[in-house]
Amino acid sequence: MTCPACKEPVAGGDAFCESCGAELPAAATDRATLTPATRPEVAQSAAERSARTQLITLHAEPDELPAPPCKSCGGVVGDDGWCTVCGARASNGREHVTEQPTPTVAAVSDKGRIHPRNEDAFAIAVKDGWTALVVCDGVTTATDSDAAAYAAAQAARNLLAATERPAGSADDREQHWCLQVKAAALAADEAAETTASKGDANPPSCTFVVAITDGEVIVAASVGDSRAYWLPDDGAAQQLTVDDSWATEQINAGVPRDEAEADPKAHAITRWLGIDSPDVDPATMTVTAKGPGWLLVCSDGLWNYCSDAAELRDLVNAQPAEPLARAEALVDWANQQGGHDNITVTLARIGDTG
Amino acid sequence: MADWTAQVFQNEYLPDGATDVHAIVTVTSQGTGQAGETGGGAAEAIIIDCSGSMGAPRSKIIAARQAAAAAIDEIADGTWFAVIAGVGLAQAVYPQTGMVQASERTRAVASAAVSQLTPQGGTAIGQWLLTGFEAFRAAPAAQRHAILLTDGKNEGESAQQLQGAIDAVTGQFQCDCRGVGADWDVNELRGIADALLGTVDLIADPADMAADFQAMMQTAMGRGVADAKLKVWAPQGAELLFVRQVAPTVADLTDRRVNVTPLITEYPTGAWGDESRDYHVAVRVPAKTVGAEQLVARVQIEVGGQVVTQGLVKALWSDQTELTTRINPAVAHYTGQAELAQVIQEGLAAKASGDEDTATFKLGRAAQLAAETGNEDATQKLKKVVDIEDPVTGTVRLKRDVAKLDEMALDTASTKTTRVRPSA
Repeated sequence: MTCPACKEPVAGGDAFCESCGAELPAAATDRATLTPATRPEVAQSAAERSARTQLITLHAEPDELPAPPCKSCGGVVGDDGWCTVCGARASNGREHVTEQPTPTVAAVSDKGRIHPRNEDAFAIAVKDGWTALVVCDGVTTATDSDAAAYAAAQAARNLLAATERPAGSADDREQHWCLQVKAAALAADEAAETTASKGDANPPSCTFVVAITDGEVIVAASVGDSRAYWLPDDGAAQQLTVDDSWATEQINAGVPRDEAEADPKAHAITRWLGIDSPDVDPATMTVTAKGPGWLLVCSDGLWNYCSDAAELRDLVNAQPAEPLARAEALVDWANQQGGHDNITVTLARIGDTG
Repeated sequence: MADWTAQVFQNEYLPDGATDVHAIVTVTSQGTGQAGETGGGAAEAIIIDCSGSMGAPRSKIIAARQAAAAAIDEIADGTWFAVIAGVGLAQAVYPQTGMVQASERTRAVASAAVSQLTPQGGTAIGQWLLTGFEAFRAAPAAQRHAILLTDGKNEGESAQQLQGAIDAVTGQFQCDCRGVGADWDVNELRGIADALLGTVDLIADPADMAADFQAMMQTAMGRGVADAKLKVWAPQGAELLFVRQVAPTVADLTDRRVNVTPLITEYPTGAWGDESRDYHVAVRVPAKTVGAEQLVARVQIEVGGQVVTQGLVKALWSDQTELTTRINPAVAHYTGQAELAQVIQEGLAAKASGDEDTATFKLGRAAQLAAETGNEDATQKLKKVVDIEDPVTGTVRLKRDVAKLDEMALDTASTKTTRVRPSA
């Protein structure tokens, strides 16, 4: 199959030509549901997806492609990203996004039930022997934070994927990843900053969390209140990251967790990525997996309904065992609790032999 | 090229069931250059009332001559101009017909001509405007601005004749209007200035006239963007409640609207220098469910067919009362300032018609709003008309023996707004 405009070869099912950006006729009718962010995931086999994440292809930026018609009324979407007829915001294509690069790694991101759009983003790198899960949660009260979250997650993933990981001891690898996650946070911040426009009083911003499993070595880092949990089948479940949030500051000051997290100010974050961020150096935490378990990296759309690590492990283990089905089930569960925020769940199964 | 920005101030969070969205859009232009610079050319008309009353006292006509000369001095080389005397029918003072381009020589000749202005005849402002328009039509300039001075009411022609003339010249040139003395009609002159996208002001002391004319002409010469349009888009099914300029002066633009498409309306804003203007846009949309989001207005500035800046007004329905109950300070401030202008005008009208109860109530509200919005100038002018007993409750007493000039000063200044005080 070739592009009718430039005659370059194109993949079946693609909505746009990768070479010239022309719209491809077969996919045109379904185009409204696709965006550059999700399009490559569509109609690809798991193997192709895996190859793609390893090659770290950079996709076309959204503004390089013609805007699909408005999802609400079919009207023309303006350059400003809003419909010129009914005023609906153009879909960012992330209402419900899934990815499963390998049979043991899966991610689902969902708009939830209240927010008008999904401002969470995830990015996954799976390479020889290690996996990185990145989640960024766009700050709703700032403009265009979905773009910041997407750019930040992609940038962090790309930086990590490009590193040369030493083949040495667990200590060497741990040291390597502790440095790399800090570099990833900086790269993510830089990417988030590029989404700000001149003179924006409320520039786009987002949280950042990454967790890497390199064999038994697990390294996590975060800025903001998205979290990583290590949920071993046996032994204590633990939250690997510490929120930069009002609630955490209260808990550290002695307020009971339930009470602090129930406060309307609980989710006010004290650190974030973006052009107005004061400091993006993440706290890192490492843990050694002593047996099989689940590495969970998620946004507050999930953990707000189940914050405690032990309770969260029970919840995770009550879902279907297959990673993608498990991630979907956790998202469904959060939506059943109210779906008050965007929900992103990324899971990696660790330590099974064979 | 001028640099344009549009900033939107609003609380986009609406409670469940709410339909009305208010926003203040601050439009700022920088680097606009000088009038007439960008092609088109510029033209100025100076229209001076020379009715018989201008000779009583003689200081008025003397001041008017000096003021006209001061304005002429500010006209930049190459700008087309004319000076017109408002007598019963208007008379060209200089040149004899049409307009000339400003140069050292033509400015000198014009100044010499205005020094000969003598009071004679009546006041027919509509005729003066039409004569000004004739002069403008003779000059190949796209950016047209006039200064009009009068000291009296429009008694030399009917109100219909005046309105007909205003309608005929609306959109043809801008006109700043000035009244000298206490015998002119604030509403009449305000009507002309509003229609012709100009300012209106009182010159209480003829001695201040020259400085005022000089400043007006300097401002006009500093407007490098000949014509900008305000365009407002609202979504299908929405109702544009109003579009109002709220700074530097209050002016309801609704009557000036031109429907471009069913969703887009356009408002003339005239020429721009390096300045900021604030607009209050109110849109009513059908209520949506909690969590829904909608663009409710695009507020754009268009120059020469190009959109040069845009502000987006949004609505986001929420069940979080801490978000939906916030009142945007800019919206609150300008809502108060617009009401202030209205109650001053209504209060003075009631006072003039002998309805003291209404006058006391309206001017009391004005005193309250002036205090609340920090409009010190309005408070000072109000104090000359009423005794403010308590600005918090708006308790005032009408003063006896108020000078007519003080009432007129309050009236003409009623539409001038203060900017939002910067938050601490």
